[in-house]
Amino acid sequence: MLAVLLVVLSARSVAAQHLLLPMDDAQRNHLKAYGVTYTAIKGGQKAEWLLNYRGGAFLLPDVPDLRKKAALDGVSVEAMTDAQVAAARAEIAGGNMDAVVLERAPRIAIYRPVDQPPWDDAVTLALTYAGIEFSSVWDDEVMKGDLSKYDWVHLHHEDFTGQYNKLYLAYRDAPWFVAQRDKDLATGRRFGKNDVPGLKKGVAENIRAFVDRGGFLFAMCGATESLDLSIASLMVDIAGPFSDGTPPAADADARLDWTRTLAFAGAHVEPSPYVNALSDIDGHQVNVPSRRQPLGTFSLFGFSAKLDPVATMLVQDHRTVITDFYGVTTSFNRAVVKPGVTVLAQEEGAPWTKYLHGDYGKGSWTFLGGHDPEDPQHAIGSAPTDLSLHPNSPGYRLILNNVLFPAAKKKPRKT
Amino acid sequence: MAARRNDRPRRRGLALGAVIALALAASRATPLFAQSGGTATATFAAADTTDALSRAMDAEDKGEFKRAGAAYREVLQKALAVTPPDGDRIALAMLGFERVMNEQGLLDSIVPVTERVLTFRPTDPTARTVLLRTLTSLARDDQARDAFLGWRRASPGDAAPYREYARLLLQRGRSLAADSILGDAARLLGRNAALSGETAQLNVSLNRWEAAAKSYRDALTNQPWLETAGLYGMQRAPVAARDSIRAVLSAEPASLRPRRLLASLETAWGEPRRAWAAIGALPPDDSTLAAWREFGEHAEQTSSWLVARDAWSAIFARNPGSLEAQRRAADAALRAGDATGALTLLRAPSTADERARKQALLGLELAALGELGRMPEAQALLERDGKALDLNARAAIARPLVMGWLRAGDLTRARAAMAGTDLEEDDEMVGWIALYDGDLATARKRLVRAASQRTELVDALGLLARIRLDRSPMLGAAFLAIAKRDSAGAAKMMVTLADSVGTAAPAVLAHAARLMPAANAPTLWDRIVREYPKSPEAPESLLAWARVLRDAGDKPGAVAKLEQMLVEYTDSALAPQGRRELERLKGQVPPGNVAGGMLAPVSRFP
Repeated sequence: MLAVLLVVLSARSVAAQHLLLPMDDAQRNHLKAYGVTYTAIKGGQKAEWLLNYRGGAFLLPDVPDLRKKAALDGVSVEAMTDAQVAAARAEIAGGNMDAVVLERAPRIAIYRPVDQPPWDDAVTLALTYAGIEFSSVWDDEVMKGDLSKYDWVHLHHEDFTGQYNKLYLAYRDAPWFVAQRDKDLATGRRFGKNDVPGLKKGVAENIRAFVDRGGFLFAMCGATESLDLSIASLMVDIAGPFSDGTPPAADADARLDWTRTLAFAGAHVEPSPYVNALSDIDGHQVNVPSRRQPLGTFSLFGFSAKLDPVATMLVQDHRTVITDFYGVTTSFNRAVVKPGVTVLAQEEGAPWTKYLHGDYGKGSWTFLGGHDPEDPQHAIGSAPTDLSLHPNSPGYRLILNNVLFPAAKKKPRKT
Repeated sequence: MAARRNDRPRRRGLALGAVIALALAASRATPLFAQSGGTATATFAAADTTDALSRAMDAEDKGEFKRAGAAYREVLQKALAVTPPDGDRIALAMLGFERVMNEQGLLDSIVPVTERVLTFRPTDPTARTVLLRTLTSLARDDQARDAFLGWRRASPGDAAPYREYARLLLQRGRSLAADSILGDAARLLGRNAALSGETAQLNVSLNRWEAAAKSYRDALTNQPWLETAGLYGMQRAPVAARDSIRAVLSAEPASLRPRRLLASLETAWGEPRRAWAAIGALPPDDSTLAAWREFGEHAEQTSSWLVARDAWSAIFARNPGSLEAQRRAADAALRAGDATGALTLLRAPSTADERARKQALLGLELAALGELGRMPEAQALLERDGKALDLNARAAIARPLVMGWLRAGDLTRARAAMAGTDLEEDDEMVGWIALYDGDLATARKRLVRAASQRTELVDALGLLARIRLDRSPMLGAAFLAIAKRDSAGAAKMMVTLADSVGTAAPAVLAHAARLMPAANAPTLWDRIVREYPKSPEAPESLLAWARVLRDAGDKPGAVAKLEQMLVEYTDSALAPQGRRELERLKGQVPPGNVAGGMLAPVSRFP
């Protein structure tokens, strides 16, 4: 378990020359800048994240390997002398900015089938493009307890209620769907589960326990909503008969246990197998035509870098207003977000939020709605996103903020 | 909403035309009604209704939707009161009423009006369709289904209810429900229930590619207009599914429409050879010949010269008097680099008039002979047949003749062929000949004015800009060797020349490397990078070298060259290209031909 400590760097001088990776509009490739920084800390170099300074810049030592990596990746760097760094630190000390040491490269796992191509999930795409190492884990590994080997786990569009996002109805005969279902059933049998909902509940429970013990969880798209629904429904059947052979419990809503969930409480499950939604958590309901809401833009909140560095890290970006993008779960209705959860982004005037963060047990989690920030209308069969065409994507930066945030050395909270 | 507004004038225009037609029909019918006594009321009612229709449309045109709605109601009321009810006016009024209620956001109001019409005319297809459309738009799914069932009961054996309901469900993204409706239709009405078009679209929406191809094949028998829809729907089929589509559309018995659809799909998938194979073996009737012509023209537009050659050759074989087909087939063959094939085509037996044949084909025949290095034969041909040509035709053959002599390396005869023709004033032709002579000053001056953007011209200008000399017989000889298709000889001369052109050496060496077989070029690229590291050709050489290594399967070698290029030439204009190659080699971005992930969960609805 990663012991996380956050400290503000004092104005102590650094002996060597420095490389600044600006993260404002001067940066040619924002996404790969995260990869260069990750490479630095992975190689034992000291890195600092200058929160709110030039778009959330990174300060690295000026060593040949990092210069080479930056050149290869097309990342803009600025050489800084000790005096220039001292001046920057003075500026940081005087404003809503802070410097956070990034000290250890997190061990990253993405919950995805091993044989899945990497261009199907925004986090896999982002990490692959940025050159950040990760491992893949799937149901077998999670059920065997392998999550304890990692600091950071990402979930994407998996339906942890075991209902395949209700795509069963439309894709039941598609070869890829049949293969996935057969594989899931076989896995379930290995762990004593008779059906896919049973298997996925077991997986969700392991993920919950991972966070509870101090892990970092980052979830996007449908995994956000379905994880909490699965956790809440540990003792009640909410899955349609097409997935487990029995209808959902008639009193399923009343029996959901929201005390164990991460982000949501009081949501209502969607019992109809013909309505392509799991619950009323999602504000946009993209797959239910009569309920679907149009996409707008969402705004990132500003936080006090010195008092609330975690939230500040998660919203570092060179844009504060970002075009929204659909996913199986696009947004989170404010009415079902638990008290105490930090809202990091929302759409002005809308009843939903976009980006949430909270603590759970000894760990923490972040939920970001939507599937792919650069493919707002992503559909089955859509061509994969080529991130070399979006090197400055503000939406993808939010994902990468989450990757580096567990690397931060924790400092005592001031509030 | 903007689209709706833009659409309105056209729809109203059509409707107004229909009203005028109906009014004319009514005026012609009046004497007949008058003779039949008891129908006088009907005649007056029809006239009144027509007036109300005009008022309704006029109000709609002016955007006075409330007034238009009232007028459309009036039309309906009166049209239903006559015996028998006037179906045409009812349809016009129903559709108009639907439009104006839509504009006002009063979809609810359409339902009772439509239901009233149906009490009088339970099988009226317009009213049934409007009711279904409205209830679906209002997301009253249960009522929409009831309306569909009501229509089905009222019109047993009619495919229309199934078609309209399935179409609406598909539009709403409810593929499963549409599937169920079409399944019912197949069961109750039989497999060929005139719904194969809808079934095809459904299968496309569910990515059932083989089934979609079967449905389109069925549908095209009676609904040829679905060919475009089939192309649009199935062209996004992933690579793995395409063979099953091919098998269905090319199955025996072969018929034109499915084969033509397959040819269009193959073209869209970047498979021109397979596209031609799809229609090339069809029995050659008039329709097939028209399809071949269309294919040949499209192939020319997309520079798919080999299949253009085949298409025009096939047309010529069935119509040996067609000089156009013969000329276009030979021209395509020449452009595809098949000079032998072009010559065979040009000398194939033809039923066309001999003089017309010479006028049309002699220039191409000279060009083909020139490409093949058979200039004496070309000269003899010109002397034999040239006299029969008119002035324009003679002028047209000068260029291929000159090019032929240049290709043969005979500058004297090339100049002679130019004499007395417009080519003596042609900047490009004069520039090339000066260059071959080694007169770089004249070549530089004339070639820069040439209108052409051909690669070899751009390359030559690039070298001339770097080499400061006014004369260089060796460079001229090297370019002449290129014209003679002797690239190895040209490359050798350029390597020798590099030692005597000062700072232009890396440019000359890079040019030589481009002329060499890929396996031999690295020696020159290495020399450029080592001896001229500050030249613009150095990063270019590294990039080209990396590509050759990549193509040879040496991924680590390619990565090393690209990394060297990116690190040492960070600011090179080629750095973005190099970085992209590197990202592809490292698997950091999807390769260009990867289809979308199958597990992506979001369905997109129109």
